[in-house]
Amino acid sequence: MAVSSKNPSNLPHPTPKTGLKQKAGDLLGPLVLLGPAGLWLLLLLVLPTLVIFELSLVENIRPGDVVIPDGIANYLRVFDPINLQVIGRSLFYALGTTVFCLILGFPVAYWIAINAPSRWRNLLLLGFVLPLWTSSLLRTYAWITILRPTGVLNSFLGFLGLPALELLNRTPAVLIGMAYSYLPYIVTVLYAALEKLDRRLLEASADLGAKPTETFWKVTVPQSRAGIAAGSLLVFISALGDFVDPELLGGASSMTVSRLIYNQFLGATQNWGFGSALSMVLIMGVSIAIALLLKYGDGRPSK
Amino acid sequence: MIRAVLTRRQFLQTTLATAAASTLSSCGWTLAEVKTTPNTRVDSDTLYIYTWTGYTDRDLLDRFTQETGLKVVADVFDSNESMLARLQAGGAGAYSIIYPSDYMVQKMADLGFLRELDHSLIVGLEDMFPMFQNPVYDPANRYSVPISWGTTGLIYNSRLLKDVPQDWEYLWEHQREISKRFTLLNDVREVMGATLRMLGYSYNSTDPQHIRQAYEKLASLQPAIASFTTDAWRPQIIVGDLLIAMCYSADAAEIMPENEDLRYITPKSGSSLWTDTLVIPKSAPNPEGAYQWMNFMLQPEIAAQVVERLSFATPSQLAFRKLPKSLRDDPTLFPPESVIERSESLAPISAAVSEIYDRYWTKLTSA
Repeated sequence: MAVSSKNPSNLPHPTPKTGLKQKAGDLLGPLVLLGPAGLWLLLLLVLPTLVIFELSLVENIRPGDVVIPDGIANYLRVFDPINLQVIGRSLFYALGTTVFCLILGFPVAYWIAINAPSRWRNLLLLGFVLPLWTSSLLRTYAWITILRPTGVLNSFLGFLGLPALELLNRTPAVLIGMAYSYLPYIVTVLYAALEKLDRRLLEASADLGAKPTETFWKVTVPQSRAGIAAGSLLVFISALGDFVDPELLGGASSMTVSRLIYNQFLGATQNWGFGSALSMVLIMGVSIAIALLLKYGDGRPSK
Repeated sequence: MIRAVLTRRQFLQTTLATAAASTLSSCGWTLAEVKTTPNTRVDSDTLYIYTWTGYTDRDLLDRFTQETGLKVVADVFDSNESMLARLQAGGAGAYSIIYPSDYMVQKMADLGFLRELDHSLIVGLEDMFPMFQNPVYDPANRYSVPISWGTTGLIYNSRLLKDVPQDWEYLWEHQREISKRFTLLNDVREVMGATLRMLGYSYNSTDPQHIRQAYEKLASLQPAIASFTTDAWRPQIIVGDLLIAMCYSADAAEIMPENEDLRYITPKSGSSLWTDTLVIPKSAPNPEGAYQWMNFMLQPEIAAQVVERLSFATPSQLAFRKLPKSLRDDPTLFPPESVIERSESLAPISAAVSEIYDRYWTKLTSA
């Protein structure tokens, strides 16, 4: 939280600077600034999460049943091999997407931040974020049109005399679609990190005889580590919750943990208890990832 | 389940439950209790309806406004279950008309969500085909008015397929040729039901042995299935990338004009017969408007226009007679008697059986 209570003159509302009033102002400042968001988080994040937690402790609860927490049976069910397989697939999709996004996004962010003329940077970045203005569902359907057997990609390959690719309804299609969906996020985050890169260090490294690859791995990467970690995590978490891309592009074996949760709440079984337990496991997984980021991905590059 | 093994686990369960009970003092509340008193805070000049995609269009809504002076707002759902979940989560209080399918009418009536209909206020119920006069899911139409019906079957490209499919069995027999070139519906009951039916059991089987057999049969087909989808097959079958898709007859009728090679069949061993209906929830803020909508939709001219424009089959005999011959003889819209005899309607199943279906479904879609 970037609010400094020692510095009331920076706050956006008039605060008297004397005695008791100042103390009240010191309290009022954070309250006014954080209050609305805090209330928002409390009512729409903390309380619902607690309700989900409570439901997760009632075995097989369905709408209309009375909520009396009775144990962790729902959690034990998460470890059923079938469900573990589904969770495993979600993790695989999310990790694969993160790796793809990093490989594709880093050069782009690097080029925009370091090499592109500075007056073009914002425009280039905007151009990259522009696809986000259309519906994600629409973009996924567009990928179906591109990847299907006689689609845009295979027509093009045929034109070049190359054999057709069977991508749709298989894992590669999911990774392509998801990497495309989340690329703008990672590029924006990486750009923010790379823009602050101290270029004198790059020059010094070159002057001292380091090869470009050495400079990249020993100077650029360590300096942008925080951005890489934050961007990857952002992609990983979003990808973990995605079920539209896997379902539309992944074919018959594309059950993900988010779709499994969806099925528990909006499907025929209506097992809100098990759905809540799955949700809690997902929330815990994401929280652990964030905790790791806070611990190891801090802004200071290791020397 | 891995229960009944460890005393330590039981201890853990008890401890956790106690901890949860003491921290969350709100326990004992009823999950998703549905309001069954009329919602009076909603504007009475407007009729809110909750329907499927493709069941209304601008012309239809405008015509209703012309006739009654009521403004209509139509929201759509994509599955009976998500509609029910929204209702149970309290998000459907504004609706005076909902369009559930047969088995869902029964479920909603059992849950006490539906208003009993006053038949003296409805004109045209007696003109329904006999099979809709006293449906199994809602005897004597106490809670619902049928509005559209059809079958579940296979749409296929007759130019690209060598043999003509006649039954669900076709998918297994020609697995190699059509591998990754066909889709099934993204619906547990329809897919498992069709397989059960093919094996000689009922669509509504609750016998775990039968359900397991159906799962095993489907598992042997799984590697060849392109995907489970209720909508995404449409553009792909039009361009010829898909050879076959399992679909609802109404959807087939809608897209068949776009490619003359497309045909629809109702499988020989039987199909599911679905009926979509109009119901009035107990929470309806505008029941008078709801009856007006029912009567409007039951007018033969309106019903006939809807068949032509939105291509779904009407259960009204009077409307049927108003249709041009080409539509009346269209087997996709109005399947012959022999097909109807072999078909079944999906019936609600208990939560326990539903768990069995769901478990196999998770297994099938994550293999």
